[in-house]
Amino acid sequence: MSDRVSIAQARIDQAPVVLKASGLGSCIAVGIYDPESRLGGMGHMLLPFRPKQAPLGSAGKYVDARIFQMVDELVRAGASREKLVAKIAGGANMFETTYQTLINSIGARNARSARETLVGLGLPLLGEDVGGNRGRTVEFDLATGNMMVYCAHDSEQLSL
Amino acid sequence: MSFRELNNIQLDALKEISNIGMGHAATALSQMIGQTVRLRVPHVTITEISQVPEHLGGAENLMVGITLQILGDARGSIMLLFPQESAHRLLCSLLGHQGKTLIMNEMAVSALKEVGNILASAYLSALGRLLNKTLIPSVPLLAYDMAGAVVDYVLIELSQSSDLALMVETNFVGEPGEDLAIKGHFFLMPDPTTLDIFLSEVGGVHV
Repeated sequence: MSDRVSIAQARIDQAPVVLKASGLGSCIAVGIYDPESRLGGMGHMLLPFRPKQAPLGSAGKYVDARIFQMVDELVRAGASREKLVAKIAGGANMFETTYQTLINSIGARNARSARETLVGLGLPLLGEDVGGNRGRTVEFDLATGNMMVYCAHDSEQLSL
Repeated sequence: MSFRELNNIQLDALKEISNIGMGHAATALSQMIGQTVRLRVPHVTITEISQVPEHLGGAENLMVGITLQILGDARGSIMLLFPQESAHRLLCSLLGHQGKTLIMNEMAVSALKEVGNILASAYLSALGRLLNKTLIPSVPLLAYDMAGAVVDYVLIELSQSSDLALMVETNFVGEPGEDLAIKGHFFLMPDPTTLDIFLSEVGGVHV
């Protein structure tokens, strides 16, 4: 049983639920997990930083704002703030160009924002599969805290 | 203007703009592959960004995506999507026999980009004439991967100014009874200011 996490959405749940984000390109999936209570969450974000003038309620699009929100919600649901760990996947650059534009580097900026936000909160980043030019489907297993990454052109799967 | 505020008349205007543009694009494609290509009336949908992959038949479907920026008097993106079987058929028509499945070598990438370029140019020049604007397509970029991964690039751009996406969708079909079956989705994603320009030119001005 897997629970879909669409673009700009996030889900908080507990074992034995598997959270799934399909077809990530430049988007990034951030999984946060408390191994003891086996509560966890995953968000599927588009943009690295939430601008100061962003209207309230639009947190879901932004990597930093969503991570803050997921940590808050996990703690409220009974997870231990000190035990939280994180894993990230995605942040690709699907359309390779010979020149660099702002939008082309969005995947890399999403990944950087996730790392920086996690460091700022003191959450250990236990695994990551980011960058490159391939799409990814990510499953975050709340029974084990494993993050599985699948690619379209590759039968191998990666376990973070 | 926000997409949410569009009324039915304005949506019809956008649909009509697209019909004309796509008519030219279909003619260009027909000439290129030597077979008649028709187009099905586009759907114009306004949808939550998170729902776009579902509209494409699921985020994990393998697709070839070709994207171009619209430059000139208006801004936005064009995204052409071909399901892998359709991309394969298209390549067979363009380059001759291609084997049983889609193999994305340099030749295939180049040919498909060229298709994207021709379709987008035909579409934009028709649109530009109609709106009295200069619209220029950028160099095409291509990706062959999961639908969700291919489109999130465009969604990211859109999401900076809106939570909604305007999708003008067109399907290519062959002559009735003929087995062409090249299906494609064509998405025009004007940024919100460009949408204003489009609407004021076609007379679907704010009520």
